[in-house]
Amino acid sequence: MTEVNQTKKSNTIVHPRYGCAIGAINTVAAIPRGIPIANCGPGCADKQYFMLSFSNGFQGAGYSGGGALPSTNVGENEIVFGGHKKLDDLIKSSLKIMDGDIYVVLTGCSIELIGDDVGAIVKEYQEKGYPVVHAEAAGFKGNNLTGHENVVKAIIDQYVGEYKGRKKKGLINLWFDVPYYHANWRGDSIELKRVLEGAGFKVNVLFGSESGGVSEWKEVPKAQFNLVVSPWVGLEIAKHLETKYKQPFLHVPVIPIGEEATTEFIRELVDFAGIDNKKAEAFISTEAERYYYFLEHFSEFFSEYWFGLPARFVTVGDAAYNLAITKFLTDQIGLIPTKQIITDNTPEKHRQNIQKLFHDISDEFPLDVEFIEDGYVIEEKVRNVDYGSSVPLILGSSWESDVAKEIKGLLIPISTPIVSEVVINRTYVGYHGALTLLEKIYSETVRG
Amino acid sequence: MTKKIRQIAIYGKGGIGKSTTTQNLTAGLAENGKGVMIVGCDPKADSTRLLLGGLAQKTVLDTLRETGEEIDLEHIVRDGYRGIRCVESGGPEPGVGCAGRGIITSIGLLERLGAYDEDLDYVFYDVLGDVVCGGFAMPIREGKAREIYIVGSGEMMALYAANNIAKGIQKFATKGKVRLGGIICNSRNVDREYELLRAFSAELGTQLIHFVPRDNIVQHAEIRKKTVIDFAPESKQAGEYRDLAKKIEENENFVIPKPMSTDRLEEILFEFGLMDAVEDYKI
Repeated sequence: MTEVNQTKKSNTIVHPRYGCAIGAINTVAAIPRGIPIANCGPGCADKQYFMLSFSNGFQGAGYSGGGALPSTNVGENEIVFGGHKKLDDLIKSSLKIMDGDIYVVLTGCSIELIGDDVGAIVKEYQEKGYPVVHAEAAGFKGNNLTGHENVVKAIIDQYVGEYKGRKKKGLINLWFDVPYYHANWRGDSIELKRVLEGAGFKVNVLFGSESGGVSEWKEVPKAQFNLVVSPWVGLEIAKHLETKYKQPFLHVPVIPIGEEATTEFIRELVDFAGIDNKKAEAFISTEAERYYYFLEHFSEFFSEYWFGLPARFVTVGDAAYNLAITKFLTDQIGLIPTKQIITDNTPEKHRQNIQKLFHDISDEFPLDVEFIEDGYVIEEKVRNVDYGSSVPLILGSSWESDVAKEIKGLLIPISTPIVSEVVINRTYVGYHGALTLLEKIYSETVRG
Repeated sequence: MTKKIRQIAIYGKGGIGKSTTTQNLTAGLAENGKGVMIVGCDPKADSTRLLLGGLAQKTVLDTLRETGEEIDLEHIVRDGYRGIRCVESGGPEPGVGCAGRGIITSIGLLERLGAYDEDLDYVFYDVLGDVVCGGFAMPIREGKAREIYIVGSGEMMALYAANNIAKGIQKFATKGKVRLGGIICNSRNVDREYELLRAFSAELGTQLIHFVPRDNIVQHAEIRKKTVIDFAPESKQAGEYRDLAKKIEENENFVIPKPMSTDRLEEILFEFGLMDAVEDYKI
């Protein structure tokens, strides 16, 4: 195995690309009628909303979260004397005022440091039958991605609870995008659910418009298996569920984009689940036919447009989107990957596997990937890539807009933050999303 | 020119007699016309009881909690015996919140409110037994106490604690100006206590500044909520505290301590026969 490519860590980070663990308020807000309760200093929660939702495709907050967030706004008084009473009052008021189905208290740095027994406060409500959960979300323990995993595990343990009954064959729990952080998460959920249902499965998507809210969460232990579609986020959840409910999991590290990958993905799932493949094959054939109908039309443009199409591309983003998009553009479109940079502070233990996944994308271009968080270093790397004679194509965040302009490149936003686009329900994954991604890249190209 | 206030922190194992010693020695300083303030840095808020004639004082943190930031010095500083200014930092209930942060908050507040004025010659910080976190080291941060005295006795655990505190002082001293002024022995009447404390102090590179003998009159005075100097000014023990006050007043021996290894500490204890006594010790 090759050594993980480690660029020397900077002491400072310009251009932040993820939030802190309290950013998992967005995970709670993504559950229909889920109410996050922030137990942290004033500003912490708002910053996470601003970074992960507003400055990330202007996604809005919807029913809860965002600006309508109950918060203890802890100050010096709570630090010195403990914040028990204020939190207790806040939970009481939130239950009265905020009409929700599940309430999750997320405790941030200051209160975690002084060691308030938040669990004891929340337990009193749980014992009275209120759907209140508490999760540790101190920024010093991790970023919004690990915060997301912690919140999910807390909901499973404290709300979903024990289950020893039978499993439902063909029912899947889907662990996938991190809500809001992946700007396309809502559209991605719709497409992946469509694909999975088309193949004959039933799916608990758990977040967003397609989720059935808390009643769907209660179904989690009944699922036949957990499906993790991400290089690393969600693995901790699946392992936890494996121990707790004796539920197996399937790890698909590369989000499928395009016909070839999505079809392969469906077949792998059907095989793993041991369900009848008739429905899946019929679905594949319909989808493939439609996909190639459109791709055929696109290919005329692709082969005959003589005014400078990009040939070499770089990706700057989290491990999940980065890996999936790099694979699609390399494998299916024939573009040349020249610099892939992962910015999500992937835990060390996953880095070597991810590097191997990149390496194996193509036989012709043994790809290397770098894990960098500092925008200054990233700009340097993106600037110094050899793009040959073609127009540079950069799939990154809005932080890359300056360097993209400088090298006269095309910037396609795929990672946090995104301030040049409004994202509603678009997706770049599955059958449909692949075409949207092509539309997006080549619209930018023809626009010049 | 602004007068230099001597800021002094008193550390030592819990229950060793830091508060009793501090209040008695400051009473001695006040007798000599010195302007003194005591800042109790212990959530139990019992550092000024003998000077105020009881635990009547509201702590800085209680006042802050009830009144908010808009408070005057009069709310938190009370005059005690011979005009000694008494402040209790206070703290949260046991087991909640952050007492260390509480000390940082209250010392910060005292500074903001101008408690350290020209009438003062001395500020004493009477600090909780164990320096468990940064908050309890607040009194010896840069710009605050530069002199530290450790109260000890011939008991093994008191010397362990003193050695540990010396480690903390060494860390701060190498970066800043804080120095150890000496060891004060608050005698427990254990065997060869004076010799042991002298040897221990010498090993640390400091002096045994005073040996305060054990005397029941201290307890009598405490029951009456008074210092010995106040309760029995002519007693021998009052003289001991006056001596201690004088020695601190005249002290010029300030060092960066050289804390010893546990093995070395035990060697010293052994040398003075204490280890035998420990083996006999039964609960």
